[in-house]
Amino acid sequence: MADRKWVMVVDADRCTGCEACVVACQAENNLPINEEEGFLKHRAFEWIHIERYWEGEFPNVKARFLPLMCQQCTNAPCEPVCPVYATYHNNEGLNVQVYNRCVGTRYCANNCPYQVRFFNFFEPVWPESMKSYLNPDVTVRSRGIMEKCTFCVQRIHRKSRLAKKEGRDLRDGEVSPACVQACPADALVFGDVTNKDSRVVKLVEDKRNFQLLEHLGTGPNVIYLKKVDPNARNGSH
Amino acid sequence: MQERVQISDEQINRELLSGVLHTPLWFWGLVLLLGAVAGVGVIAAGFLVYFGVGVLGLNRPVFWGFLITNFVFWVGISHAGVMISAILRLTQAEWRRPVTRAAEVLTIFALSTAALFPLIHTGRPWRALYWVFPYDFSRGIWPNVRSPLIWDPSAIFTYLTGTILFVFIALVPDLGMVRDRTTGWRHKLYSVLSLGWEGNPRQWRLQAVAGILLSALILPVFVSVHSIVSWDFGMAVAVETWHATVFAPYFVIGAVHSGVSAVVTMMALLLWIFKLKNYIRPDHFDALGRLLVVVATAWLYFYVLDFFFGMYALEPQEIANRTLIMFQWPMSFMFVLFALASYFIPIPLWLSRKNRRNITLMFWSSILVNIGMWMERFQIIVPGLMRKEPFTFTWGGYAPTVVELAMVTGSFALVGLGLLIFSKFFPLIPAWEQKEGQLLQDEVQVGRAKVPGLVHE
Amino acid sequence: MHETAATKASALSLLEEQQGITRDLLGRLAHAGPRFWLVVTVLGILFIVGIVGVVLRLQGGLADRAKWGYYAATFAFLLTAFQGAPIVSLATRMVKGHWRRPLARASELFAVVGVLSSVLFLIMLNIIPPVQGRRTLWFEWPVGAPYLFDSLAVIFLAVCGLGLLYTAALPDIAAARDRVPGGRKGLWTALALDWQGTPEQWRLQKVALGVLGGFYLMFFVFTHLLVSVDYVMALVPGWKDNIFPAFHALVGLQSGVAITLVALGLLRWVGGYKKYIDMEQFWGLSKLLLALSLLWFYFQWSAFITFWYGKQPGEQSVLTFLMFGPYAGLYLTAFLCGFLLPFLLLIWNVVRRSTVGPFLAGCIVLVGAFADRLRLYVAAFSVEDIKLHALETVPATHLPDSADLMIMIGMVAGAILMYLLATRIVPPVSVWEVKEMLHYRVVRMFMKTRVVVLAKPE
Repeated sequence: MADRKWVMVVDADRCTGCEACVVACQAENNLPINEEEGFLKHRAFEWIHIERYWEGEFPNVKARFLPLMCQQCTNAPCEPVCPVYATYHNNEGLNVQVYNRCVGTRYCANNCPYQVRFFNFFEPVWPESMKSYLNPDVTVRSRGIMEKCTFCVQRIHRKSRLAKKEGRDLRDGEVSPACVQACPADALVFGDVTNKDSRVVKLVEDKRNFQLLEHLGTGPNVIYLKKVDPNARNGSH
Repeated sequence: MQERVQISDEQINRELLSGVLHTPLWFWGLVLLLGAVAGVGVIAAGFLVYFGVGVLGLNRPVFWGFLITNFVFWVGISHAGVMISAILRLTQAEWRRPVTRAAEVLTIFALSTAALFPLIHTGRPWRALYWVFPYDFSRGIWPNVRSPLIWDPSAIFTYLTGTILFVFIALVPDLGMVRDRTTGWRHKLYSVLSLGWEGNPRQWRLQAVAGILLSALILPVFVSVHSIVSWDFGMAVAVETWHATVFAPYFVIGAVHSGVSAVVTMMALLLWIFKLKNYIRPDHFDALGRLLVVVATAWLYFYVLDFFFGMYALEPQEIANRTLIMFQWPMSFMFVLFALASYFIPIPLWLSRKNRRNITLMFWSSILVNIGMWMERFQIIVPGLMRKEPFTFTWGGYAPTVVELAMVTGSFALVGLGLLIFSKFFPLIPAWEQKEGQLLQDEVQVGRAKVPGLVHE
Repeated sequence: MHETAATKASALSLLEEQQGITRDLLGRLAHAGPRFWLVVTVLGILFIVGIVGVVLRLQGGLADRAKWGYYAATFAFLLTAFQGAPIVSLATRMVKGHWRRPLARASELFAVVGVLSSVLFLIMLNIIPPVQGRRTLWFEWPVGAPYLFDSLAVIFLAVCGLGLLYTAALPDIAAARDRVPGGRKGLWTALALDWQGTPEQWRLQKVALGVLGGFYLMFFVFTHLLVSVDYVMALVPGWKDNIFPAFHALVGLQSGVAITLVALGLLRWVGGYKKYIDMEQFWGLSKLLLALSLLWFYFQWSAFITFWYGKQPGEQSVLTFLMFGPYAGLYLTAFLCGFLLPFLLLIWNVVRRSTVGPFLAGCIVLVGAFADRLRLYVAAFSVEDIKLHALETVPATHLPDSADLMIMIGMVAGAILMYLLATRIVPPVSVWEVKEMLHYRVVRMFMKTRVVVLAKPE
């Protein structure tokens, strides 16, 4: 693979909190089915999820929400702590999780400041009738294994192989993770920052940009664009 | 020591070797009981391995809970052996003599039990075992030496090896004695183990030098083990309360505190179970108590450093974490219990000489200390994860399940069982050290008083 | 064991031996040779130079904190090395090692330097801004913080140290009152407080020494905590380091042992106390120094690995600032002299069982301690805006000017001067403790050799 740097831009102003991205990700990546018990026990799988915070008192309540997925950090704190090298950084700027190497010590999850890593506490089960919708391009993880958002690396691979076969570079917008593809508000933009003509290159420089937990120096590859809210309190984050 | 007893060599041999040579009925009863409790723990571990980590109370964000707390706790207890043996041997403190071997053996079993827990609570323990081993079983992929989880087994196994060597060197003279008093298969076993010990001057000199060298060398290992275990937490960036520079000495001094208290508990049990009145005297508890007061106060200093300076920068996670620990039920209840149990009840009691010489009081107060220290480990690990990051949407809780409770209880039984079985094969109080102590005893006339003295080596 | 000087049976009786010791030690107190007064004069001149330096510094005012870095480091060095020395005496008293007796007074005498360091501290007290609006130990609230509490801590420490010295020296002062002729008799009579050596007085003295010793250790650690946090850590933005107060106190303990070793060496070779200060004292202290030097490395490594591994920009810049950037030379000196060289020297039995080896190690450690205080205080004081969230740009090295050099040399000379003058009032080898030793030490036959038997009273 050529040296690329995949970046996702999340426009908080456009996001409506509809959670289409969550559903798309679940379908694309063979995420285990989340039942109510999973949510109550805080074990649900949501590689991308919408963080929601309530602001104010009734009747002036506002919901603040932000899509959060693996930030694919350049200085990922989850990488040095894995004893078996199950997570590493590839030359496309992705933080890669190697499922068959993972032994499930869960140190990476503890060291993720964004808390976007998920663990298979039990063997995931799908009813017989639902097994046919599993995506053949994505591993089905067994119990004891960590997983997280991969920027749909299977789609990146597929399109890269296609482009190579055709003897050309990847075009901007050709690769699109499931969440980006599903978003009705076009709040998620994905692209290769080394490609000067891509959409993301301009959006990354937008004056509304910010990164989560910048002071930790993790170097996330997910850039957020601030919501424009004339009624927002000054100085709130 | 003030109470001087002069016992004949023959009596020493008889009393200290009786545990090895004869087996009373209660021994088997105790083995069965401890075995049953340990067995329940093993069955629970079986559940864990068969069904998955989900049978524990863990969730996202609290990915480490009771089992890791237990791991840190037992590594802590394992620090007793070296503290007592090596440091007291190097400073030539006389009161160490009955305590050394039992403390060292406690270390061995505590450490072995501790090492089981991080292995068994991984998602796929059947793979963890050989992928963490320093060999590329998977075609060129070695373990990741940058990970504190690789430093851990290195440190623990170095310490275990060192302690086993240490115990063995100190055991050899007694093994020679047991060999001479047994027949049959036991005679053969002890003949092999005692390495041809005859007790001539050359062998004694070698044994003494080996003991001193090992004492000096094992001290850095002992400091490094718990420091490395603390760096499992200290290297984390995401958990703000874990990212503290003081973790290494803080954990080590906490380990010494809980370990020496465990030695006090164990000495009292030895005294009562094996009826070793002549060897374990109030003197020893007095000395251990004084050591504990100093160690506990040093621990309190480091605790205050960690707690207070954690808040120094007024980061929101730190404040949220401390608020949770101190003021929110049920963590607040645990905090009060912990403070009382680890320091504010035992230490004021131990300031009085009369209390230190009261063996029953020492027994119960030392158990209290360890209850408090177990809670202290829990309070470092779990609340830190519960309030890990500023995104309050992902804040979580934690409650242990039956499996975790069974495994933790089972670990205590396992250590007890190990000690008990050890006592069947090897004398728990070094007979040769007792005899040496008696030889070096003397008295000096100072004015009208006779003051006990020691031959200065 | 072959016959050593230790095991040769003494020809004199116990009483004769004790009287000989008293005469010898108090005789030295009676007059000092011309060499002594020459050294005192030289030190006095250097001290005056130091005072001139302080005055020059004061003329610039307290507004520019950066200029006071070297002054603060000198104060910190006095607090660390000189005021750490009495702990050697009180810690070894707690574990009841007899080998400490000849060195006890030499280490306790360093407590007099507390007077000098308190004065130095009070001069620079207001150099740090009040606690409002910045991250500090005090969370913005206690009234008078940090000035009131910090000065109370420093003053209490000095007073406690003087009290400790006084209590320990009381029997010797009384002996001097009774035996030494000359002008100081009035002073000794006033100080001796009617000490007659009754059993009740001895018992009281023992209890007082225990209590004061405990308090001194606690105050020492506490004062180091306050000074290191308020005058170093709080001044560097983004530096949150909970082992630092412990490290600061540890260097105090380590350099206290080191300075005691240096004092012992000088007493033995220059002061003529060869009979009392023997290999055994150096041996005991060298083991302590080795252990503390290892702890130096341990504490530094703990801090370094935690900061370095985490890769947070705020902490990386602190590492660069304090260790690898503008003060790298000083840090390297501190590392070599505080850990590596003493370690390489003292692991050898041959070195530990000599007198020169530990003395040399002591000198090296003192150099390391001064380098360490320099890099910490000069760096911390050179930060301009202490209210930032993190250290974005690392300030450049702040070099000393002539006033700084005068202060550094002068104040250390002044501290040594106070020590020497104190030895004119209180003998530097404790008469009563060495005499008491004779009661507890007998030579006996053991099997076929002679051995020394030491009594250990409760």
